[in-house]
Amino acid sequence: MARRTLRLIATLGVASAVMLVAAGPAWAAGETIGGCVLEQVHHAEEEYGSLGAVEADEKAFKAFEEDLEGCVEAPSPILPELDEIIWGGLAFLILFAFMWWKGFPAVKRAMDARSEKIRADLDAADTAKADAMRTKSEYEAQLAEAKTAAAAIIDEARGQADQLRQDLQARAEADIAEQRTRAAADIESSRRQAIDDLRTEVAAIAVGAAERVVGASLDADVHRSLIDGYIDEVAGAGSNGDGS
Amino acid sequence: MSILALEFPPYSHLFDWPTIWLDGTPLAINKTVLIYLAATAATMVLFGLAGRPRESLVPVGVQHVAESGVNFIENSVVMQTIGPDGRKFMPFLTSMFFFILFSNITEVIPFIQFPANGRMAIPITLALLVWVIYNVVGVKSQGLFGYLKNSIFPPDVPKVLYIIVTPIELVSTFVVRPFSLAIRLWANMVAGHLLLVTFAILTATLWDFFYVPAALPFVMLILMTAFEILVSLLQAFIFTILTAVYIGGSMHPAH
Repeated sequence: MARRTLRLIATLGVASAVMLVAAGPAWAAGETIGGCVLEQVHHAEEEYGSLGAVEADEKAFKAFEEDLEGCVEAPSPILPELDEIIWGGLAFLILFAFMWWKGFPAVKRAMDARSEKIRADLDAADTAKADAMRTKSEYEAQLAEAKTAAAAIIDEARGQADQLRQDLQARAEADIAEQRTRAAADIESSRRQAIDDLRTEVAAIAVGAAERVVGASLDADVHRSLIDGYIDEVAGAGSNGDGS
Repeated sequence: MSILALEFPPYSHLFDWPTIWLDGTPLAINKTVLIYLAATAATMVLFGLAGRPRESLVPVGVQHVAESGVNFIENSVVMQTIGPDGRKFMPFLTSMFFFILFSNITEVIPFIQFPANGRMAIPITLALLVWVIYNVVGVKSQGLFGYLKNSIFPPDVPKVLYIIVTPIELVSTFVVRPFSLAIRLWANMVAGHLLLVTFAILTATLWDFFYVPAALPFVMLILMTAFEILVSLLQAFIFTILTAVYIGGSMHPAH
């Protein structure tokens, strides 16, 4: 605080000194139009003798006109009237000191608050961006995991399907083999039944035929054993001959 | 000039500055021209410094002034008068605001103590530029016939009133506007400058005779200095917002 006050006092001192030094030319320039015109008239009379002589010389008259017009313009091309410089400058310096004391700290606080708000907004935006990136990474990881899991499920399903197909195929082949075996057994059984039936029928026919040929009645049991023997022989020859 | 025993400087001494360089040519330079050149340079330096590429987006120093100025022009001028499609006029309006402000504010700066806009040249030039811009914008937005029709016969006005409204609008839109715009700025700066000079002369005169009573006009001078800073800002704002209103009116006749 003390350093700031010293700096302010030094600034005001330097500014006041500069103001007073620089205001010197303006002091001299602070003249009236009438005084200036009078001075120009005297100057012209001294140079040309009288105003009539000035009027007679066209070149001198033009120069005199320009000199008079110069009286209307501000005396200094840059500096304002001395009174205005001193009192206006002093008023400005007092106002500046007040603003330095009260106004600028308030403005600085507002600027700092604005900077802080922008910094906080930028930080929040960075955080939000980082969060979004993290969420995106998580989603991507989850997506990759889901894809891997889906691929594993598909592979497993494919393996199960293959296994099922192989099982079904094996079962079907076993069923076919069983049915084929059962059919062969049925065929064999039927063949044996047919042979037995045929044997009975042939034995009866043969006994009947033999009775008629021989005219004598033979013992039925003897005939039957003879016939069975014959049929077995025939059946054995048939089996060996065509394979059925 | 003596007014009520006060030796008041002639008006020409307060506003008519002799040529410093290139006397007698159209490019002659005097104090007023120097102030305008300084105002141009100050505007360029302000935005040049504020627009420098930086690593951090957090504003510092003059960047606050430039950004606040741009935000102010956008939110308080463009969006209020033209709307979102007026953003293309932001560079023009912002440059004009700061140029007028810097040209005005010199009236309180020691050793300068003269508002460049206390001379009519630039206010009327800017006003004529604005006149050209809002008329071109009107013709481009509505077509020549539509612009003239909507300007002279404003929509939503009962037809009977056209007898009164049409001549007023004709003169107001195409003749008076640039002059009212220029004179408002010029007259305010002239009045402010005269007030400051008056209180300075009054203080100086009283100081020569009685020290204590001189405090009163001096306090007034301090207050007027603060007030003229406000007026400088306000006149720059008024010139800019009226420009935006005229452009907005040319773009959207219903407004």
